[in-house]
Amino acid sequence: MFALAWRNLVHDRTRFAVTVLGIAFAVFLMTFQSGLLVGFTRAASRVIDSYDADMWIMPRGVPCFDFAATLEERTRELALGVDGVADAGRIATGYTVFQKPNGFRQTVLLQGVDDRFAGSVPHVIEGLRRESTLIDETDAMLLVWGKTPADVEINGHRGRVSNTARGFATFLGAPYVFTSYHDAVDFLRVPPEQSMFILIKARQGDALERLRDRLRARFPNYDVWTRAEFSARARKYWLIQTGAGGALSLSALLGFVIGLVIVSQSTYATTMENLEEYATLKAVGASRGFVRGVVLIQALCCGVCGSALGFLAVDPMVVLARSVVTWVLVPHWMFAVVSIITFFMCALASVLGVRAAIRVEPGRVFRA
Amino acid sequence: MPECNPSTLSVEDVHLSYGSGPSSRSVLRGIAATFAPGEMVLLTGPSGSGKTSLLTLLGCILRPDSGEVRILGEPAARLSEDVRTRLRLRQIGFIFQSFRLFESLNARENVALPLRLNGFRRQERLRRSEAVLSELGLKSRMHLKPKELSGGEKQRVALARAIAHDPPIVLADEPTASLDSENGLKVAALLRRIAIEQRRIVVVAGHDERLGAYAHRRFHMLDGCIQEENN
Repeated sequence: MFALAWRNLVHDRTRFAVTVLGIAFAVFLMTFQSGLLVGFTRAASRVIDSYDADMWIMPRGVPCFDFAATLEERTRELALGVDGVADAGRIATGYTVFQKPNGFRQTVLLQGVDDRFAGSVPHVIEGLRRESTLIDETDAMLLVWGKTPADVEINGHRGRVSNTARGFATFLGAPYVFTSYHDAVDFLRVPPEQSMFILIKARQGDALERLRDRLRARFPNYDVWTRAEFSARARKYWLIQTGAGGALSLSALLGFVIGLVIVSQSTYATTMENLEEYATLKAVGASRGFVRGVVLIQALCCGVCGSALGFLAVDPMVVLARSVVTWVLVPHWMFAVVSIITFFMCALASVLGVRAAIRVEPGRVFRA
Repeated sequence: MPECNPSTLSVEDVHLSYGSGPSSRSVLRGIAATFAPGEMVLLTGPSGSGKTSLLTLLGCILRPDSGEVRILGEPAARLSEDVRTRLRLRQIGFIFQSFRLFESLNARENVALPLRLNGFRRQERLRRSEAVLSELGLKSRMHLKPKELSGGEKQRVALARAIAHDPPIVLADEPTASLDSENGLKVAALLRRIAIEQRRIVVVAGHDERLGAYAHRRFHMLDGCIQEENN
């Protein structure tokens, strides 16, 4: 059955190529659009996920890292007194003006953290060199013409971009600038009794939810979230409450809908174009099950070939797109998800086509 | 009451019309005929006289509005679609005017298709398809695809496909219409040969007067009615 289905399918190469190209385009569209959405979602919480903290304390209503507010710095000392807290640290962050020697000005989101909470976020070790900062390599061209070290001015203070890091490009348009906690306080002119986030490390073996509840009881005027909760909150904020996330979600949804329509239409058209062959099969005595099998195999073959071709185009396109949209990301599981959905749609379209195929009047084979 | 012979193919007072309501068109009107093994029967008549419609009834492809079709004595008109499909698969071989070969398969694979549908194993399919193609003089052409074959060769492949699974009934619709005179005569002779030597019922519908010389009996059809002619 497979041999007949496959050979009959590829016999008309032009028709087969058109079908496969249609499905390939649909698969590419679905994967790439989803990659934009997944990348955006991940970028929205990238900094939160990367700091080495189990718990975040912040002023009430702060929706994400990028829109911080001030809280009392002594909260850190108070938190250390809560049962289950192993360590507490601070983050100073805020938007400020970054100025090059030629007078070029750019708003940046500057952030500094206590060393032991830096995790995988690029940071400058406290005291190693004063006024030193790091920027993402993709922002380097904009901020320092791609050359480091470079002397700059940040919020009226002398500063120096000492090196570049990877993977922390902003998606807001205001580049991230990383420095030590104390330099961040100086650059941002944060009063000594204030900070923006308090980071908590839990004592080993303690349940995070219970510690969170104790911290909430201790600081009723602040929000306390586990890292996972704050990360989800930030993603939800960017995805649902901002126009940017909404537009991306909508375009991903549209990409999927358009992709699925193309997949279904291509598969259905291929089935309908083979009606004469199905009529002959029925006339010579093929059962409905056999005809169904042939149609389904042909649909899945189209799906497999189209998906493979579509996926081949994804990686080069992602590399190309990253020069403009740095956070686009297509994780491996995305290929599996899109494949499953594509095969399902091929099968569904073939089921619709099969109705026509098994209803085809075998008597039409007598017509010349 | 017509005779119920387990080796014959027959239609009894069958009526068939296409469409429904005022647009309904009657194509067969009370047809009765019996076809016996070992004979080649020719159905002649102008276009629209009902020849092909009668073949579709004999081949269990369509059901009559009324009357009965007996395949080897068994009433087939009221059987379910699945049973009629099985009956068609096992008992009937078809030859079509436009060959209806699968362009993606070579001659041997085309011939092996009904064998595959009948559940024959691969080795047996190969053996039988090669044997029947050899018998029809196509041994050296069995690996070619239909587009590489001449019209006469294609019709002989179609004939091989129709008889490879050894059905007792062979129905042919205008089998010589797409062929030149030489190939037409060859195919007509082959049809007569398989009727006589293999004791099959061969019913041929066609305009081609040359077929008449090879048929044991001939029926003339006109406006949905049938009349046997002296041959």
